[in-house]
Amino acid sequence: MRAWRNREGDRSAREAQVLGWLFVAPAVAAVVVLILYPLVTGFKQSIRSGGFLFGEKPGYVGLRNYKDVIHDPTSQSAMRHTVEYVLLAVSLEIVLGIAIAVTLHRVFRGRGFVLAVLILPWALPSVVSGVLWRRVFDPDNGMLNSVLMQLHIISHPQVWLASGRGAIFYITLVHVWGVLPLISLIFLAGLQSIPDEVYSASAVDGATPWRQFRHVTLPLLRPSIAIALTVGTLLAISIFDEIYVLNGTALNTRSILIQVYNTTFVEADFAHGTALAFLLAVVTAVFGGLYALALRRATV
Amino acid sequence: MRLLKLIAIVLIVAWSIGPIVLGITTSISTQREVNSIPTHWVPQSPTLGAYRALLNGSTGQVSGGTVVQGGDFVHAMTNSAVIALGAAALTLIVSTMAAYALGRLRFRLSGGVLALLIGTLVIPIFVVVIGLFQVMANSHLIDTKRGLILVFVATQSPLATWLLYTQVREMPHEPEEAALIDGCRRWQAFVRVVVPQMSSGIAAVAAIIVLSVWGEFLIPLLLTTTMNAKPVTVLITEYVGKYTTNYPIVAAAGVLALIPPAILALVLNKRITGMLAGSS
Repeated sequence: MRAWRNREGDRSAREAQVLGWLFVAPAVAAVVVLILYPLVTGFKQSIRSGGFLFGEKPGYVGLRNYKDVIHDPTSQSAMRHTVEYVLLAVSLEIVLGIAIAVTLHRVFRGRGFVLAVLILPWALPSVVSGVLWRRVFDPDNGMLNSVLMQLHIISHPQVWLASGRGAIFYITLVHVWGVLPLISLIFLAGLQSIPDEVYSASAVDGATPWRQFRHVTLPLLRPSIAIALTVGTLLAISIFDEIYVLNGTALNTRSILIQVYNTTFVEADFAHGTALAFLLAVVTAVFGGLYALALRRATV
Repeated sequence: MRLLKLIAIVLIVAWSIGPIVLGITTSISTQREVNSIPTHWVPQSPTLGAYRALLNGSTGQVSGGTVVQGGDFVHAMTNSAVIALGAAALTLIVSTMAAYALGRLRFRLSGGVLALLIGTLVIPIFVVVIGLFQVMANSHLIDTKRGLILVFVATQSPLATWLLYTQVREMPHEPEEAALIDGCRRWQAFVRVVVPQMSSGIAAVAAIIVLSVWGEFLIPLLLTTTMNAKPVTVLITEYVGKYTTNYPIVAAAGVLALIPPAILALVLNKRITGMLAGSS
């Protein structure tokens, strides 16, 4: 009996070994061949010279491409724009996200409908968001020009997407439209985790709604704010689709990723394109780590 | 205070669906109405002309610069559907197996495999894309739906595996153990007992994969060249302003492209909200 059980145990342990590897093999293969291998070949490109296109002998040049990119004025302005996108997007998302969550937190009639409608923009392709918003900013007959002219705020149509600061603001608005549902849900989950007693206690103390929000809700939302900050940053730092649809690769709205695309696939300069992409990836990885940290803090 | 809240709710709804409504009204306008100054926001004579042009094709003169090849749009929608559904199905097979193996089977190096999969989550896709382009070119997978499906399986699997893995860890072991005692082999217990147990998680992950692959833009922009594999997101950007933009046609394309994800989001709304709030 005992011998039989041991044999049976051995068989099932061996089965688990074989089956285990068999079952993870497809996922591991896909990730290794289509993510890790291209990552390594991409990195190799970034430390080689640009090659024949620039009349150079191909060979390893160390970190020279990285230095070139950091000193290149076009890349620098793309970095500046990206910082503007991130700061603008994240601050809008946090303020509006908290406002939406506070509004929709308590039960009211039709809340289910409002929540369903709220997540729609998140579900749509960002390319489609861009298309939907395009008519608003059109220089000839866009909604913005039309309304402002009828209100006599401007006397002639503005080319909104051609102005420096303005264009970045409008593109950010479209980006925020798609991301805000996610951020609002993060804050809603945060509000749900605050026990009701906290509010009744402060109500007894005679706190006004605003003071309650300022001194009770906001401090207790801190973990959610940390998560929203990192998620918002991760999504805005690699902004691409909305810019591409609304303004193409125009210099005044170029983000780092648009610059990577332009360098690599339009100018066919793989070496500098990958170098810039890896620089951005390092920054992204840092925020990814902060995100994991914020998540862990929030759940502990 | 109640009035203030009502105003806020109306504003939230208007902000969320306003652009979609504007897209719909634009799509049933004529180019002339869109161009008139002051422009007509609500068309005075609604027409389905833009949709007809999109489905049957149009010439440059009729549609003000935007030339639409007949059949292209339907073709692109089909491509998007094939790619999204194909990638979702394959990813779910691959990830369910991996999640089960990592959660339930004790095999050597399973911890390392889990770390590898989670580690890839921090790799942003844009650093992979340049090397990926060369891998795909070398294996003649550029401009094929097969190629895009494989790429999306690779990009979606780590997150899908992680979400399903957390579900496997939380599920009761008893049903599987009972099946094993009854003489089932491990793989039989997995197929007949564990997979049905995981069905609600699998459905939610499926929805999230379909939504995100349907919206993919950068990868197909780089990996497709013809209508053979071009998804609708890439085709739409080609309709936008080569010379001047034909707003009704572009809006109609946007409206048709947003119908599948919008339906999916509305139908599975509760499940998606739960998963998003849970995962963040």
